[in-house]
Amino acid sequence: MDRQTLRQRMNAIFQDIFDDPSLQVSDDMTAADVEGWDSLSHINLIVAVEKAFKIKLTTAEVRSLNNVGDFISLVERKAA
Amino acid sequence: MISKNTPDLDYSRLARAGRKLVTKGSNQNARIAILSDAATQQFVPLLKALFHDNGVNAEIYEGAFDAIEMETFDRSSGLYQFQPGVVVLANCAQALRSRYYQHGGAGFPEAATERMLRIWDALGRHCAACVVQCNYPLPYERQFGNYDLKVAHSLYASVAAINMNIAQCVRERANVLVCDVEGIASYAGRKNWYDDRLWNMTKAFCQLDHLPQVAQALVEMTLPTMGRVVKCVVLDLDNTLWGGVVGDDGPLGISIGAHGDGEAFFHFQHYLLSLKRRGILLAVCSKNDHENAVRPFVENPEMVLKRQDITMFVVNWENKADNIRKIRDTLEIGLDSMVFLDDNPFERNLVRQFLPDVIVPEMPEDPADYVRAISELNLFETSSFSAEDLARSELYKQEAGRREVQSTYSNIDEYLRSLEMQIEVARFHKAKIPRIAQLIQRSNQFNLTTHRYNEGDCEKMMLDTEGCVPLYASLRDRFGDHGLISIVILRIKPDVLEIGDWLMSCRVLARGVEHFLMTRVVELAREKGLTRITGEYIPTAKNAMVKDFFAQFGFEKTAEQDGASKWHLDPAPYQARTIYITEGD
Repeated sequence: MDRQTLRQRMNAIFQDIFDDPSLQVSDDMTAADVEGWDSLSHINLIVAVEKAFKIKLTTAEVRSLNNVGDFISLVERKAA
Repeated sequence: MISKNTPDLDYSRLARAGRKLVTKGSNQNARIAILSDAATQQFVPLLKALFHDNGVNAEIYEGAFDAIEMETFDRSSGLYQFQPGVVVLANCAQALRSRYYQHGGAGFPEAATERMLRIWDALGRHCAACVVQCNYPLPYERQFGNYDLKVAHSLYASVAAINMNIAQCVRERANVLVCDVEGIASYAGRKNWYDDRLWNMTKAFCQLDHLPQVAQALVEMTLPTMGRVVKCVVLDLDNTLWGGVVGDDGPLGISIGAHGDGEAFFHFQHYLLSLKRRGILLAVCSKNDHENAVRPFVENPEMVLKRQDITMFVVNWENKADNIRKIRDTLEIGLDSMVFLDDNPFERNLVRQFLPDVIVPEMPEDPADYVRAISELNLFETSSFSAEDLARSELYKQEAGRREVQSTYSNIDEYLRSLEMQIEVARFHKAKIPRIAQLIQRSNQFNLTTHRYNEGDCEKMMLDTEGCVPLYASLRDRFGDHGLISIVILRIKPDVLEIGDWLMSCRVLARGVEHFLMTRVVELAREKGLTRITGEYIPTAKNAMVKDFFAQFGFEKTAEQDGASKWHLDPAPYQARTIYITEGD
């Protein structure tokens, strides 16, 4: 899966989790940029992405994420 | 010695390997006897192959099917001649379940434990083998839902108790080990349940996908406290309760029995019988000739359900929606407290369409899955259980007797007099609290205010001897005992006797119970010198039948809003009605 397709699929998950159909993710986006991105929705987001891409992220991997770009790269690596 | 690598536990590989196994020279040998009340032929080759994988030659003695006692009690049995080093008692949950159903419930864990100890003792007397006792996977079928654990004699609680007994008994015996089959079975679920990453990240107690089930369980537990309970299971016959068509195959030709084709239906009937024993009514609604339909219940000895287990038969060629209405009218229960089980999708859809309140579960194609499918829906969750539940089926049958007699009297007074009704009215007391709370939770129709008090609330009222007069009434007549059927909660205010709650089981409608009780209320007001009796009606979706309750006793309406109304009565001029109920001892 190329990064563009992956980004689109992740974007759809973000829109669903944050209940905002107009949300567009970017690499430098962080939790502070998105309305409702708190610790609860963060876990929901992780679990939804894991399910969609059939991957398991380790606790350390989840902790290492600094922005959406990191997240997309991580998923890209794990789903490869 | 355990093999170091992750063992390969693939069933097909082991089954193949076990069959082809040739004993090679090995320095380690094991002599293992397997005694079971389940089949062991699939199991033994796997065991051999796995021992082989671990460098051990296993010689295995397979006891005859379901002959554990015969083998262990008989000193000259094949088991002892084999001279086992290890004896595995591979008891299975299915055999335990059918013993439970035949036993009836109360005292079952003790009986099963004693039986097990006798076997251990016999083994200890006749050989020096190490004994491995398997414990029991918890059953999936539930009679009460979450409430199963509160009822010591339920199947679920009984199996849990037996497992606990096994653990306690093996602690006291050096030569007996327990193989935790229950642990293996439940780990198949638990491994999907726990997620330590989620715990570390967010302190979630299970995988998020399972959280809804816990929430659903809490909803299912709460609904009964609000009066939402299933009271009756309406059953089709052909291919639902037995295999085949009774009209064609005859009462002895249908499929029903402990072994073979009829076993699925046998288990299903046992499950239904356990529901009946816990107070769920069973009714039959079938397109058949009445006589044909009843004959298996009377004539076929393999039938678990007997004629007396069925509260009502409605058997004719009319449509099932009308027939279910007939059952509702006779038993006086709401359509939403009925479950309709029928293997025929046409009938299910018809009932769904015409009676949307009736619960109509999909039935699985294979009758072997009936119990699991019904049990998974957790339809029979409750928040209370009392002696009256056990007797309920009997109560409804007595009612059918009364109806028959009623038709022979020309007027209602004559009929009511003939019933020789006796009532007992008393303040709440400790022993009656569970039934009182249950009636408060379950009465929907004849209920003026529908406050749902729990047992704790009822005890508080019981103890408040100054301000509160909480009364219950029990009724019996010449046909039998109705048990505790009405609650009236009165509060004493300055100059006023306030009727806070008044509810009654619909089984005793139109007997004069409410007239008897109102006379008592009026007498109490006069005794205490109170000049006014007040009452309130709060409408719900179901209690329209008591909308005019106060008016019929001469109360005047003092307020009305959104269907709710307030009433009062001067007790002095009140005229008691003619009542055919006397006060018993």
